[in-house]
Amino acid sequence: MVMSATTDGGQRTLRRDGSFGYVAPGLLLIVFFFVVPVLMLLMRSVLEPAPGLQNYVELLGSTTYLRVFMNTFIVAGLVTVVSVLIGYPVAWLLAIMPDRWSRLVLAIIILSMWTNLLARTYAWMVLLQRTGVINKTLLSLGIIDKPLSLVNNLVGVTIGMTYIMLPFVILPLIGVLKSIDPAILRAAALCGANKRQCFARVLLPLSLPGLAAGALMVFVMSLGYYVTPALLGGTSNMMLAELVAQFVQSLVNWGMGGAAALVLLIVTLVLYAIQLKFFNPNRAR
Amino acid sequence: MTEPFLSIRSIRKTYGQVTAVKNVTMDVAEGEFMTFLGPSGSGKSTTLYILAGFQDPTDGDILLKGQSLLSTPSHKRNIGMVFQRYTLFPHLSVGENVAFPLRIRRASQVEIAERVKKALKLVRLEGFEERKPALMSGGQQQRVALARALIYNPPVLLMDEPLSALDKKLREEIQFEIRRIHQETGVTILYVTHDQEEALRLSDRIAVFSEGEIDQIGTGQELYANPATHFVAGFIGDSNFINAEVLSNEGGQARLSLSGGTVIDGVPVHAGKSGGKSVLLLLRPERLSLSTRPLDSGLVVTINDITFLGNNIEVTTHTGNGESLSVRLPFGHEAISSISRGDKAWLSFEPKSTHAFA
Repeated sequence: MVMSATTDGGQRTLRRDGSFGYVAPGLLLIVFFFVVPVLMLLMRSVLEPAPGLQNYVELLGSTTYLRVFMNTFIVAGLVTVVSVLIGYPVAWLLAIMPDRWSRLVLAIIILSMWTNLLARTYAWMVLLQRTGVINKTLLSLGIIDKPLSLVNNLVGVTIGMTYIMLPFVILPLIGVLKSIDPAILRAAALCGANKRQCFARVLLPLSLPGLAAGALMVFVMSLGYYVTPALLGGTSNMMLAELVAQFVQSLVNWGMGGAAALVLLIVTLVLYAIQLKFFNPNRAR
Repeated sequence: MTEPFLSIRSIRKTYGQVTAVKNVTMDVAEGEFMTFLGPSGSGKSTTLYILAGFQDPTDGDILLKGQSLLSTPSHKRNIGMVFQRYTLFPHLSVGENVAFPLRIRRASQVEIAERVKKALKLVRLEGFEERKPALMSGGQQQRVALARALIYNPPVLLMDEPLSALDKKLREEIQFEIRRIHQETGVTILYVTHDQEEALRLSDRIAVFSEGEIDQIGTGQELYANPATHFVAGFIGDSNFINAEVLSNEGGQARLSLSGGTVIDGVPVHAGKSGGKSVLLLLRPERLSLSTRPLDSGLVVTINDITFLGNNIEVTTHTGNGESLSVRLPFGHEAISSISRGDKAWLSFEPKSTHAFA
């Protein structure tokens, strides 16, 4: 688990005698190029085309847009669930492997994170298309008799995004799982718990903070994801970020774009607040 | 002959080239408190882990009431265990920790509540049900672990250095508790420790482990009075060893020549690895007597230091050829007032009470 670097219980005191000056350039940069543009976009959502909340009324009132919201949550939820299902066993394996091996596997996982996102997404497009390696292999093995549609739909988006999100589940989980003393699991076994009970009653509850942190991070990141859904998804399952892009780029409707962006931001902040409240690693259990 | 309650038969465990346990055989009676005593790496913990089912022996068998345990996985052995490290489930309260084995066994709510209460009473932690383990001291946590290990009435309780993380005073307090609980429950206990004092205080019998083998099994008194090997003699109680030469040996009673020409007769000799003439003679510090007057059969030594230790006085000395010997004299011993550093003195002892190891 990521721990805060402070040793004073998180109560950092900012010295005001001049040291503030050193962070000013960075702060100004953030304010001018990040905070102000975001605020401007959000302002436009209530000012364009005329002052008022009509953009929000339209956004939340229309079934088309609601379907985009629903779809965003479905994709983010699906990606989170699949990432956890795949990531947990991998993290467990990495936690109990000899260090030499786990470092190697970890390096491979992190290396994939450093590879360009677009390149990885295009690679999945090539792999998943009707004449791609996966379909060809399955066809030649006789497992299927016509190509599966694995791309430009929910399946494609889920596969592509899960691949990208996996490290964000695995990394926090490894830390938590490594901190669990194997003797505790031995004690559980002698108490009569079989492997399934050891997992459900001891390992899972003890790793829940790491699991929740990873899952929530994946969910929140997935909510605002753009590139992968745009390339691997179909038109029928558009996500919120794509909607924002469409408003701004194709329709030049900054008001609606800003409104959609604000809704996304609020949902994200609410989830982040939930995480802080229930799974704050800096607070005593 | 009646079946032994727990029988460990020729257990051997190797990891590749390394042999952790060479050949361990012992029978344990029902209700007995048996301690595995030995330095780290002597195979005592490995033997315990094999009993728990965490490791399989390379060879040998373990029988509980005549039934082999080896094919039974850990979670079905019904054996209790308290570990060296704190192994309470941190996400569960004390009450839930103790209830855990019963929940796994699907006991009824009423039965669980009743037995948890009884188990916590046994370890004198009544009313701690709601407490989280992290808020308890190390000693309390180990007592909860003990309650959790005993709640399902296991036939055998394994304890793997459960007190090694505690400070001395607390350790003694919990040793007393463990003795009381052993007497109250009558459970058979196999206890691993490297602390001879702990072993002597707790056990009915002690098995001394050395390099993967048992050197000797016996009560503390037997091990102290009649050590079978040089290792046991050195591990139990305080000991001096000096070199001696065997002049003659008849039926395990030897005539020995010590440095300085002193000859003693009737010393029990234990056969060892080297069958030669030279032996190591065990002299317990408290069995030595010191005199300032020359003695015919005494050992001439020079006084190095005199240390007052309260109820007794430790005198460190060395012999003519530089072997150091410590002597423990009772407070007020007549020789004390008349000796000082650098003085010559004569040590005497009863040859029958010593042991020589080849």
